[in-house]
Amino acid sequence: MTASIIDGKAFAASVREDVAARVGQLKKSTGITPGLAVVLVGEDPASQVYVRSKGKQTVEVGMNSYEHKLGADISEADLLALIESLNDDPAVHGILVQLPLPKHLNEDLVINAINPAKDVDGFHLSNVGLLGTGQDSMVPCTPLGCLMMLRDHHGSLSGMEAVVIGRSNIVGKPMAQLLLGDSCTVTIAHSRTKNLADVVRRADIVVAAVGRPEMIKGDWIKPGATVIDVGINRIAAPEKGEGKTRLVGDVDFASAAKVAGAITPVPGGVGPMTIACLLSNTLTACCRANPETSAA
Amino acid sequence: MLRDVTRAAMIDGKAIAARLRAEAANDAARLAEEGWQPRLVSVSVGDTAAADLYVRNQQKSAESAGVAFEARSYPHETSPYQLIGILQGLNADPRVHGIIIQRPLPAHIPVKALQKAVHPLKDVEGMHPASIGNIVYNDLALGPCTAVAAVEIMKTLPLKIEGLDVTIIGHSEIVGKPIAFLLMGLGATVTVCHHMTRSVAVHSRAADAVFVAVGKPGLVTGEMIKPGAALIDIGINRVDGKTVGDADFDSCARVAGWITPVPGGVGPVTVAVLMQNAVLATRMQKEHYQQSFASTNNG
Repeated sequence: MTASIIDGKAFAASVREDVAARVGQLKKSTGITPGLAVVLVGEDPASQVYVRSKGKQTVEVGMNSYEHKLGADISEADLLALIESLNDDPAVHGILVQLPLPKHLNEDLVINAINPAKDVDGFHLSNVGLLGTGQDSMVPCTPLGCLMMLRDHHGSLSGMEAVVIGRSNIVGKPMAQLLLGDSCTVTIAHSRTKNLADVVRRADIVVAAVGRPEMIKGDWIKPGATVIDVGINRIAAPEKGEGKTRLVGDVDFASAAKVAGAITPVPGGVGPMTIACLLSNTLTACCRANPETSAA
Repeated sequence: MLRDVTRAAMIDGKAIAARLRAEAANDAARLAEEGWQPRLVSVSVGDTAAADLYVRNQQKSAESAGVAFEARSYPHETSPYQLIGILQGLNADPRVHGIIIQRPLPAHIPVKALQKAVHPLKDVEGMHPASIGNIVYNDLALGPCTAVAAVEIMKTLPLKIEGLDVTIIGHSEIVGKPIAFLLMGLGATVTVCHHMTRSVAVHSRAADAVFVAVGKPGLVTGEMIKPGAALIDIGINRVDGKTVGDADFDSCARVAGWITPVPGGVGPVTVAVLMQNAVLATRMQKEHYQQSFASTNNG
């Protein structure tokens, strides 16, 4: 059996189209344009690429993008003051502080200074707790993207056995919450788990988020299972020439694709969904901030 | 190492509770000397008969832990806005360090709105979204009392939690899920089952420790337990005038290595954890006050 490939690029494009259509409607009926503020501190090249791509996609779906680029030496007080002004700005519905921050800034303090209703990354403690208690919250983008792909592929997830590998705050833990919310039986496996292969073999749904290249092998996968690979690892690719690299996931794609029912590739799987979900969260935040738009 | 026995060892919740209360009493006495006598306020609304037993238990436990305890009751027709106002008053009152909202509440009172109105530093029941968020992020501050109690009991057993296979039956927001996150933080491999789980027995039989919190008497039977495993029963049900848990005690006790009785297991530990939270909340408020005062002085 050969797995069907879940095309994250195409699915993300359809999510963006849907967001764009709803933004258009919202503007027409209320005159409100959702706005996303992205704060970038310092010159980290990877972060610059992300921020550019977020800004571009924000504008493409018809929302306002506000970029705040700050020097690496900005003081915590100045950064907090900026966040406070964004919290108070009615044109800004979503605030994203690109992580990681330079070492002299306290990330927890900064993230928790964002108004939870504008915290489109879903990292604020209140959002974590709201998700944990099944209330309206902002859901972190990567696990939300995974859930949307799973729902799109399966319809209902109710009663399925899910194994999440990795217990990070930004992927593993919220992913487990979301799968429980969709009535899966959920096991969270991690570096301390005994017999990881056996645990994974029970699963109808495997979500891998450990950050270890090609760790999960095909013979760990139950035949027909759905495999969502969140990992993005850069490894040496001598076959492409000296010093060349390529991206791989946490799953050994070649062997897993022979066993799984469906699998996300890396790149082109979960990755593109993350920004699409960020845009979707921004629209959600805008609608919640303007209850009269609840139809949108 | 699971226990190899013909009958499970009974976990003595009252003894564990007494130890936790004694620790809390020590801390409370020290705080009182420093001018910070821990004080809890319990808020009941409407017909309080159902909650009276809990309130009395909490009051007794508070007395022995050196925590001041004040029970307030409000009439049934109190509006949610009035109650939120009352909670804001308690939030602002520096003599009050912890607020307990007794359940059940009248149907017209949205319990989650009240829990959100309690200041996170005074949230001794661990129900505020920020408290739950802390638990998920593995920063153990004020946790939901029942969940923390179940984990405290687990810690008294000679089992290494890191790498332990644990099955939790029931995924409620204030018990099942917080237990899952607390144990995951301690390194256990956790599986959460619930009413949509195809076969709970497959998971419970594979587990070194089983936690059950569903509210269905007799849900867990001996053949669902791995011989020698720990069984922590969080259910409290009334059957034929008797209080029983979610486990069929007799059949489970023949298979399990350790088992909590109901009553006398998780229940008393839960009240003791409330006292520990009261002390912890007082200490956090003291530190918060001192930090704010210091920064005002400097600024």
